[in-house]
Amino acid sequence: MTRWFEDIILGEVFALGDHTFDADEIVRFATLYDPQYFHVDAEAAKQSHFGGLVASGWHTVSVGHRMMVDTLFAEEARLRGLGQEPGVSGPSPGVNSMDFKVPVRPGDTVSYELVVTDKRASNSIHGWGLLFNKITAVNQRGELVYRADLVGFSKRRDYKMPLKLKVLLALTKLPLIGPLLKRGT
Amino acid sequence: MTNLVTKDRRHFEDLAVGEVIDLGHVTVSKEMIITFAREFDPFPFHLDEAAAKASLLGGLASSGWQTGGLSLRMLVDSFLNTVASAGGLGFTNLKWKNPVMVGDTIGGTVSIVELRRSGSHPQWGIMTLDFDVRNQKNAPVLTMRLANLIETRNPA
Repeated sequence: MTRWFEDIILGEVFALGDHTFDADEIVRFATLYDPQYFHVDAEAAKQSHFGGLVASGWHTVSVGHRMMVDTLFAEEARLRGLGQEPGVSGPSPGVNSMDFKVPVRPGDTVSYELVVTDKRASNSIHGWGLLFNKITAVNQRGELVYRADLVGFSKRRDYKMPLKLKVLLALTKLPLIGPLLKRGT
Repeated sequence: MTNLVTKDRRHFEDLAVGEVIDLGHVTVSKEMIITFAREFDPFPFHLDEAAAKASLLGGLASSGWQTGGLSLRMLVDSFLNTVASAGGLGFTNLKWKNPVMVGDTIGGTVSIVELRRSGSHPQWGIMTLDFDVRNQKNAPVLTMRLANLIETRNPA
């Protein structure tokens, strides 16, 4: 979340909001990214076991991601409102798992929730920490739509770079020695 | 009841572990990156070149969700729309290895690594597919494993 790594509280639940999917956006997304007949053709979809049009799972998780980004921005604004400097989120290195349960049909409203389940300092990227986030999405009937375990980056406020590393980084910026050192890392 | 859409496609029984699917390729434009990011991933490092240069990505790069979506699209075109796919069960071990920058061309392969019949639904099998998506320099950009349902021709 847009807090410093040190300020992230494990187990804290963030309601990310909800989204109602209509047939047009289901077809529009799937036409670009998942054009299987049950995602793009309401008539043909009747032949499938779904019995009608359903959203691509990739669409429902992409909307969940948007919800998370909006929540980060709102948290950032809230912290600034309190006169605090917000933390920094970085790009995600990956997703451990995404399980699709109940399909999303036109008119369904999906509610998303995020919990940070674990965190640790990154071994490979200095000054950043890894967050292990669980997102769950349920529909208006309370049925689980999907659950995902994601990994995110968050900047460490208290990180102090070791002197040895500082010297090495400074050397990589020199025109002659730098390229040689970079080749070795 | 016969599924009229999938009846002439390859079914569970027609597939074998070890089959490798060529994904073809797609070139990712700045416009594609920004259009997707506006709707699904509006971090400044996916929308704005100056912000992207200052970020861990080092330049304007596609949302990882878009890279995954494009990989899925290539799989649908090259394979899933030729078999009796009944939808995805989920993904595991999704890793974004390198960012996809403006102008990059991505492609690669998907391999069938496992095929088994569903214990509870004899009309389906579960195929496990491994993605290996790379850029034009052959550097890996994305790997992930998809579990996807496929209709059986002869429910056991």
